[in-house]
Amino acid sequence: TFSSIPEVDVLLANFSSFSQLNQNVSSFQRKFVGEVKRCEELERILAYLVQEINRADIPLPEGETSPPAPPLKQVLEMQQLQKLEVELREVTKNKEKLRKNLLELIEYTHMLRVTKTFVKRNVEFEPTYEEFPPLENDSLLDYSCMQRLGAKLGFVSGLINQGKVEAFEKMLWRVCKGYTIVTYAELDEPLEDPETGEVIKWYVFLISFWGEQIGHKVKKICDCVFWSRWTCDYLYTVLHKTEDYLRQVLCKAAESVYSHVIQVKKMKAIYHMLNMCSFDVTNKCLIAEVWCPEADLHDLRRALEQGSRESGATIPSFMNTIPTKETPPTLIRTNKFTEGFQNIVDAYGVGSYREVNPALFTIITFPFLFAVMFGDFGHGFVMFLFALLLVLNENHPRLNQSQEIMRMFFNGRYILLLMGLFSVYTGLIYNDCFSKSVNLFGSGWNVSAMHSRVLQLDPSVPGVFQGPYPLGIDPIWNLATNRLTFLNSFKMKMSVILGIIHMTFGVILGIFNHLHFRKKFNIYLVSVPELLFMLCIFGYLIFMIVYKWLVYSAETSRVAPSILIEFINMFLFPASETNGLYSGQEHVQRLLLVVTALSVPVLFLGKPLFLLWLHNGRSCFGVSRSGYTLIRKDSEEEVSLLGSQDIEEGNNRMEDGCREMTCEEFNFGEILMTQVIHSIEYCLGCISNTASYLRLWALSLAHAQLSDVLWTMLVRVGLRVDTTYGVLLLLPVIALFAVLTIFILLIMEGLSAFLHAIRLHWVEFQNKFYVGAGTKFVPFSFRLLSSKFSDDVA
Amino acid sequence: MLGAHCPVRTRAPEHLQFGPAPQPGHPAPAMTAHSFALPVIIFTTFWGLIGIAGPWFVPKGPNRGVTITMLVATAVCCYLFWLITILAQLNPLFGPQLKNETIWYVRFLWE
Repeated sequence: TFSSIPEVDVLLANFSSFSQLNQNVSSFQRKFVGEVKRCEELERILAYLVQEINRADIPLPEGETSPPAPPLKQVLEMQQLQKLEVELREVTKNKEKLRKNLLELIEYTHMLRVTKTFVKRNVEFEPTYEEFPPLENDSLLDYSCMQRLGAKLGFVSGLINQGKVEAFEKMLWRVCKGYTIVTYAELDEPLEDPETGEVIKWYVFLISFWGEQIGHKVKKICDCVFWSRWTCDYLYTVLHKTEDYLRQVLCKAAESVYSHVIQVKKMKAIYHMLNMCSFDVTNKCLIAEVWCPEADLHDLRRALEQGSRESGATIPSFMNTIPTKETPPTLIRTNKFTEGFQNIVDAYGVGSYREVNPALFTIITFPFLFAVMFGDFGHGFVMFLFALLLVLNENHPRLNQSQEIMRMFFNGRYILLLMGLFSVYTGLIYNDCFSKSVNLFGSGWNVSAMHSRVLQLDPSVPGVFQGPYPLGIDPIWNLATNRLTFLNSFKMKMSVILGIIHMTFGVILGIFNHLHFRKKFNIYLVSVPELLFMLCIFGYLIFMIVYKWLVYSAETSRVAPSILIEFINMFLFPASETNGLYSGQEHVQRLLLVVTALSVPVLFLGKPLFLLWLHNGRSCFGVSRSGYTLIRKDSEEEVSLLGSQDIEEGNNRMEDGCREMTCEEFNFGEILMTQVIHSIEYCLGCISNTASYLRLWALSLAHAQLSDVLWTMLVRVGLRVDTTYGVLLLLPVIALFAVLTIFILLIMEGLSAFLHAIRLHWVEFQNKFYVGAGTKFVPFSFRLLSSKFSDDVA
Repeated sequence: MLGAHCPVRTRAPEHLQFGPAPQPGHPAPAMTAHSFALPVIIFTTFWGLIGIAGPWFVPKGPNRGVTITMLVATAVCCYLFWLITILAQLNPLFGPQLKNETIWYVRFLWE
């Protein structure tokens, strides 16, 4: 039934994260617009309440768990909120007036004291509770004093019986017709009525009025009712009472305002969602179209049953799975660790439905490539410690709710952790710790074997070079003047090797994609030529690099050929026959070139021609059957969404399905163009992307040099000074070194390397296989509603 | 085939003015000869344990796939990085160029 639907939805929605409403564009029944408006009004009232509470500095308790959405009956209780708001506004207004009047009275008191000498009568009148009889003369004197001073505003204050309040107010209103403002507050303790002697409650009031005539009328009325007037000394009490009353009201409201806010938000979200449903023919039921992950279909059914049961509806809610041509949204389940990496990939593009998710590998390759560019043991360790601090305190509430920049660091804490860890490792391999090298195993270079003034160690001299340093770069290179010559050669080759392997891995991931979507022809016609192209040219480059490392040594260094020249000559076929890297090189290279040249046309034309052959040669089964089959064909992926068995069986026959085309819409020209563009992009991209990986070398060089400069300019200057001043100088020098290390090397260089590592992933790695054209699965979840005040009351 | 680090002397070294003579009070230059085979075996075993044997010990749970991928990727990346570094230094074509003070420092403190 109609009334039960909000309850059902409330219960459904409590199973957060499982459904998303598909916007049913054609039929939009805005049945619940009124309710949404009501919720918004309530939200406004609550925002005002929170503002007032904050202004009064009352602590606002924020609950840990959010309260459930309220059932329909409780919604009506929300009307009380409106009354509360009205009362609050009035009391606040009165308080403000009281305060203003009090201030004025204080001014006049001062003036009165000054003019006391002019007046014969003693005006000072400090009443206590015992003195009751009205002193008309005094009051007249007060009044006329103020008049003499040119006051236009007059006020009278005093006590009045509780029983006479209403009559008093009515009379005042009738007589003065609104030219007075009356405020009153109840005294805490009941006092003795001077006439009857019994203890009754009193109200303290203040009447403010304009003008002489009104003043007379007010005073006459006041005299009729038995009351006492007090001077401004007692106004303080009145003001305090009003403030206390206000505070009481606010305190009471503060207890429940938090849960009210959450409940109103939930209600509004539910009504918003209900607005998106459509009505069925009988106008009695709501229909909602949702996407649901296949794994949760069972839970969805159970929740519907439970909701129907608990709300006591006569017609139970139920669900049906329907076939559809649309592409479902992409859902990737993450935990708090993998979420950061998934966000990196999603920032480029959310993956298409069911394609390979590069975030899985990004978890390791991204910090690794960052570390190759950042490679310093000391800096990496500091970064690791900072990230560890964030991770260990991740449940601390202040970190959870911090503002923009800190929030960014906090969200990426696991990324920072891994980045720091890998930087420690690459720093170890680069043998770089705050730009200094560590000699752990003893250098492989022996100076004593050679003697000269300025020495270049020659590895061909016996005893000079005794073997490669077992872990990383030899520490003697840090002391050498031609350090960069060696390091540049090493880092460039390393960058190219890492890059080619990364890109090849990307192409292989594409093979997984083709296997999953059951398009085997793609593997043979696209992936294999791509792989051949990449490996025959750049894989051979890796081979040449490694071969030269292994085979050529110091003795043959005179004749060692340059890799770059050899690589270029591979394509140019120069006339002069150089020695080459190894014997038989020309034949090998020719063979590789032939293979490459053959794979290019296959890459260009293979897939379009095959599809053309499929289209013409093999008849499409789908043409003869009805449109239903067509829908089923296109929704191969949604087979998982449909639960029934028979549809599965029917699908097995169309394995190599002509998926992206219906027989009428096969456009050979378009497919050919797409494939040609893709191939050109790939082939040219191979070269440019490989060169792009050289940024791994460039950034690590920049980092090392910056680090070195900082050390030389700062700490070395500090360490060189004589001991007498040195100790004093070293302290600020170290402090400056630490600050500059953090700001320049850690933050600036860290951001730079972070950005470049992202670029390498997004462009060079992902364009080998990733499509990223999907939409994200956003479930209707109460958890996604913000449960903080700061977001609303801004 | 893997670069011999004790090459056969083919000609008299030109730069050597006098051989390394052990001076009184100083120990003989320490021969910190590094083998190539030993680090290779050690590191291959180490990263092989992590990358190949490690996945078998990952406990069953929702994160099993992710953890296995992480282990294998880490092992591959780190091993490859180390391997490239040591291969690049295996047969150096030229040596470090040192300044005067550095020579004395290295000679008497490292050797």
